Amino acid sequence: MAPAAMSGMPGTKMHDDIDTTWNYLQGGITKIMNNLQDGLDMVTYMGIYTAVHNFCTSQRAVGFHVSASTVSTTGAHRGAHLLGEDLYKKLAAYLTKHLQDLHAESKLHTDEALLAFYIKEWSRYTIAAKYIHHLFRYLNRHWVKREMDEGKKSIYDVYTLHLVRWRDVLFAQVSEKVMDAVLKLVEKQRNGETIEYHQIKQVVESFVSLGLDEGDSTKTTLDVYRYHFEQPFLDATMTFYRNESKQFVAENSVVEYMKKAEARLQEEEERVGIYLHPDIGPALKKACNQVLIAEHSAILRDEFQVLLDNDKEEDMKRMYSLLARIPDGLDPLRSRFEAHVRKAGLAAVAKVAADAEKLEPKVYVDALLEIHTQYQGLVKRAFNDEPEFTRSLDNACREFVNRNEVCKAGSNKSPELLAKYTDILLRKSGTGVEETELENTLSQIMTVFKYIEDRDVFQKFYSRMLARRLVHSNSSSDDAETSMISKLKDTCGFEYTNKLQRMFQDMQISKDLNTGFKEHVQGLGSKGLDSSYSVLGTGFWPLTAPGTTFAPPQEISADCERFALYYKAKHEGRKLTWLWQLCKGEIKANYIRNAKMPYTFQVSIYQMAVLLLFNDADKCTYEEIASTTQLHADPLDPSLGILIKAKVLTMEGAKIGPGAVFSLNYDFKSKKYRVNLNVGMKTETKQEEAETNKTIEEDRKLLIQSAIVRIMKARKRMKHQQLLSETINHIRSRFVPKVQDIKKCIEILLDKEYLERLDDDDLGYLA
Amino acid sequence: MTAETTAKSGRINLQSNDGITIEVDRAVAERSILIKNLIDDLGVEAVTPQTPIPITNVNDSVLRKVLEWCEKHRADQPSAEEENDSRKKTTEIDEWDMKFMQVDQEMLFEIILAANYLDIKALLDVGCKTVANMIKGKSPDEIRKTFNITNDFTPEEEEQIRRENEWAEDR
Repeated sequence: MAPAAMSGMPGTKMHDDIDTTWNYLQGGITKIMNNLQDGLDMVTYMGIYTAVHNFCTSQRAVGFHVSASTVSTTGAHRGAHLLGEDLYKKLAAYLTKHLQDLHAESKLHTDEALLAFYIKEWSRYTIAAKYIHHLFRYLNRHWVKREMDEGKKSIYDVYTLHLVRWRDVLFAQVSEKVMDAVLKLVEKQRNGETIEYHQIKQVVESFVSLGLDEGDSTKTTLDVYRYHFEQPFLDATMTFYRNESKQFVAENSVVEYMKKAEARLQEEEERVGIYLHPDIGPALKKACNQVLIAEHSAILRDEFQVLLDNDKEEDMKRMYSLLARIPDGLDPLRSRFEAHVRKAGLAAVAKVAADAEKLEPKVYVDALLEIHTQYQGLVKRAFNDEPEFTRSLDNACREFVNRNEVCKAGSNKSPELLAKYTDILLRKSGTGVEETELENTLSQIMTVFKYIEDRDVFQKFYSRMLARRLVHSNSSSDDAETSMISKLKDTCGFEYTNKLQRMFQDMQISKDLNTGFKEHVQGLGSKGLDSSYSVLGTGFWPLTAPGTTFAPPQEISADCERFALYYKAKHEGRKLTWLWQLCKGEIKANYIRNAKMPYTFQVSIYQMAVLLLFNDADKCTYEEIASTTQLHADPLDPSLGILIKAKVLTMEGAKIGPGAVFSLNYDFKSKKYRVNLNVGMKTETKQEEAETNKTIEEDRKLLIQSAIVRIMKARKRMKHQQLLSETINHIRSRFVPKVQDIKKCIEILLDKEYLERLDDDDLGYLA
Repeated sequence: MTAETTAKSGRINLQSNDGITIEVDRAVAERSILIKNLIDDLGVEAVTPQTPIPITNVNDSVLRKVLEWCEKHRADQPSAEEENDSRKKTTEIDEWDMKFMQVDQEMLFEIILAANYLDIKALLDVGCKTVANMIKGKSPDEIRKTFNITNDFTPEEEEQIRRENEWAEDR
């Protein structure tokens, strides 16, 4: 077998003849090109390689001779002349002819058949090219390398030469038709038919392979693919979806369209993975987004309000994910969302605000919370918990929390009601809220609190009510109180909760003090009252001395004096003021007939003073009571009123006041053995509220002034305008100051000579 | 590839142009890019003792010499060789190769031609460096003597070449 195959090969002596060599080579190449599937025998393989080698080497002697003589005449040649150009040209010409034949044959096919033809020939051609590349390796190593090293642009290694020929001869002629076939196939698939997509994948690979970098043939570019495949593909995609979506929208609801668009986008994304080049991914996505979403964004956005109104969460989620795909797609949704939440919040408040005077704090806060919870949930579930949507939600909440039906009179109402609700939660009560539930509710309170602009108002009410809880020791749990304070501290900082914390501390210190005092009293050997005292720092507690004179009964005053002495011995120089209005006690009624057990009355100290008078007499006149207790009518009358209403005392006379005579009711009856008579502070709290509100304005002025002084102390000199904005920044965490108020405060500080006017609208700090 | 199949298919038959078949390890033979490509293209099963690879341009004694070198260098990293530029610029040859190249001039040139034909770049380099070392430091006349070359330049031609290459003179 070997000799037979060898026979056609030019022997070592015939090497110099290009025609003989080429004739031999052409036979082998044709076999590789057209019948490689039949196999290639080793002898032919080695024969072709050797023929190429021998052709390129054997004439070297001749080449040397020629160049040597040229050196002597022109001196232009450098180094050895390498042979191979003839072979290269023959090969190139052969490829051109082969491809022209293929082009002629391709005209017999259209559409899918053409596609199949192209792919079949492409794969045959490239496999052959790899063989021929190897067989012509000697040419590559020497002649081609030299040409390329010298910078010849149109000389390629043999494999690349194959690709270049394919591109220039066949591809240039058929690429458009092939592409048409591809697009038809894809359209079929988009219309729901099953297609043979492997063909498209191979076409893509072929187009990509043809992207040769003209500067460096070892590299490839995507230029050819992008121009001949990607662009037409994108154009066709856009046309297809533009038509489809236009028709679909005309015949279906927007909600249906969103589902369709979502499915189509998904489909196209998968298409890239299945048979397209990854390079097209972003561009295809962009094209689809444009045609399927951006071009319909107006009707989508119009539908958003409908979806919001009807609470169509799933559809909103879909709309969000669609519009999130296009630039600036979500902004209009956000502003609509914000407006909607604000409206919903205002409506919810209006619903409960029918009777603003009797509005329950819980009802109001729950109304606010409900809206917040509802839309925060929506943001989480439908809007991907996106920060921008959260911001819109916050803006809306801030609006309807601070400016609504209830706050018509003034924005103080929201923080006031919130503080009251907190008080109700933290006060000991019969409802007995679970510990964990209480903690949750407090967290919800904080949710609303974060939107409150006038935080100083909240602080005022909160500290008043905390004081009451502590003094009357009817706080439901210390843990809950500290938890709430630390929550406020986290949000507003140390300064905000400083006083609240000090109040807590005072109560703790007082506990120790009482223990010490009891031991002290026992040491004296005298039998005192079972009393307990709280010492409250004047600066931290929102409490004022009583507005009435009061002469405590003998029993009480003796104990009080003992305590005062004890305290003064411990803390010299401190002044104690008795807050009688907050004092209370219990007395046993041993005088009542028909009582199996003596009743116990829980009373205020004023009531106690009145009742103790009846230890010495069964009847007392109003004037006697007033002069012995020294109480003004303001606190005395209501105290008596309760005793009479409870029938502890009976009254002769039309109304409580001068002239009336009171006597002890020996026939007092009650279902309970402990009777709480220390009630009816209704009017008192009303008054307190009004007072609190009144002090707010005054306190704000002081707050503004102190902020200004602090800023100026640090800066020494500042422009008026700058100082204004700086002050607003400082105070904003407490409340939103009005520019006018700040200006007024600056005037006051100028008058007090803390500040001075300098040139150029500057203000200076005077130490 | 498991050890067993490596052992089985691991031997390759080559036939020199004087008709003698030599069996070598496939890895050794594949130092030749020609043989490596052939096996890749045609498949290793095409090469059998009955159908050895015909090495048309190389005779038995030269082929054996070349294969000896390939055996020694069977494990060299081909990629490192390709990229090692500094290797090209020096005429240093490692000791084993130097000894290997201590052959008569005719054999030396036969090895170079065979390395070129079989596409064994590293061996081709070693051969050329050996020749370069034979030229280094010699005058034109000494070189002519070494390689048995007759001077076919006229004195004028020689003078012109000398002038053109003056810049390269080592002084």
